[in-house]
Amino acid sequence: MDIDDILREVDPTFHAVPQEKRNLQELTRAWIAERSAPELLPWPADGLFERVNDSIKRQIEKVEEMTGDMDPKTNFALIVIQTELERFKYLVRSYVRARISKIDRHTLHYLSTDALRARLSEMELAYATRHQALLHNHYLSSFLSSFPSALQNLNDSAGINMVETPDLESAVFIRLLKDTLVEGRGVDSDGAMDGRESDIVILRWADAKTLVENGSAELV
Amino acid sequence: MPMYGDQGNKLVQHAKRMQNLAHLPPYQTELVRAVTREVRDLDKDVASLLEPFQGSFDPSADQSTACTLLVNHLSMRRNKRCLLAYHRTRTDKLEELVWNGSDVLDLAGQQAGGGANGATAAADGGASSSLSPQEEDYVRQYGDLLAAYKGQWTDIDLTGSLEPPRDLFIDVRVLKDAGEIQTEYGAINLTKNSQFYVRQGDVERLIAQGYLQKLG
Repeated sequence: MDIDDILREVDPTFHAVPQEKRNLQELTRAWIAERSAPELLPWPADGLFERVNDSIKRQIEKVEEMTGDMDPKTNFALIVIQTELERFKYLVRSYVRARISKIDRHTLHYLSTDALRARLSEMELAYATRHQALLHNHYLSSFLSSFPSALQNLNDSAGINMVETPDLESAVFIRLLKDTLVEGRGVDSDGAMDGRESDIVILRWADAKTLVENGSAELV
Repeated sequence: MPMYGDQGNKLVQHAKRMQNLAHLPPYQTELVRAVTREVRDLDKDVASLLEPFQGSFDPSADQSTACTLLVNHLSMRRNKRCLLAYHRTRTDKLEELVWNGSDVLDLAGQQAGGGANGATAAADGGASSSLSPQEEDYVRQYGDLLAAYKGQWTDIDLTGSLEPPRDLFIDVRVLKDAGEIQTEYGAINLTKNSQFYVRQGDVERLIAQGYLQKLG
């Protein structure tokens, strides 16, 4: 340890959360939120996934580098890194698949307006558009093409709207990140409470959404 | 003549039953055709009912015709929904199979070809597969789409296990000969009934394909 290390240790910025760890935290949060929310949440805009992919790539390279080494010490470190790597991969995979499953279920809904389309990443948008085209083609070739032309649409809105939408009224658990007023609509009557930080509340997603979006609460 | 929508109802029941089945039952070609025919017949009925009015039909003047038209229209729409639901349930199932990495086209052929199942499938119209030709196309195209999407995630296998990883290494037993695989600790020869302690990431695919069984 030389003087630089000592200086660095007393430097407050050194103890700030390192980037790698922040990535992990953000990823974990995005993953939990995506899995609990009944509708598709916006794709993280700040390049989180580029960062995560980069660090995964770096880790893989490191693993390859260390593999040749038979020293038990590196071997142990190798196992730790690989375990970490598997977990990272799992988080990303599970997150991406949770999104895909939501997109697949309500493709037309997410493609219907620009605001909704903006929630998808470019890759997802391409996937969703193509998938919908495939489905429509499949319907057409299976039966729809022999229908009267007035009935060939997939988005009739007479009567019950054909485009299914996610159920925004389903219940979610949220943890409050700061003291705030929580309002929720009930079946018989509406309720409101003064929430304290770290309270955990269950309420309809439609009511929780604003709290989550302005950062007063997170999904759990 | 069967009641309006009877056939459509049958399709929906087929779809409902299918949700709890592990395999995909044969495609109901006849039923789909019948429902589609019903829609066309209804459409013709509507056209011939409206014909004498020359586009100046007043529903309140002729209520019984108006009622017939309404029922016809609703039945057509209902049939359409039934067909869509039936096909969507099947494609969902097919997509699931594609995601699991099973060779759907191969699987369907086997199912129809083997044993008592094959006899019923053959009786259903001589089809060799439980998929309609359109469905086979769909599976192929969806497989391509998925491969393209997956290809953009170079380091992560999206079709991998959705169980959170607990241990880096696991015990596996070999159920079917799988030949030799390369791992970073050297090559392992997977012969039937042997047991190995391997890195989970290396053998995930083989577990999914049924070559290996995870122990404990």
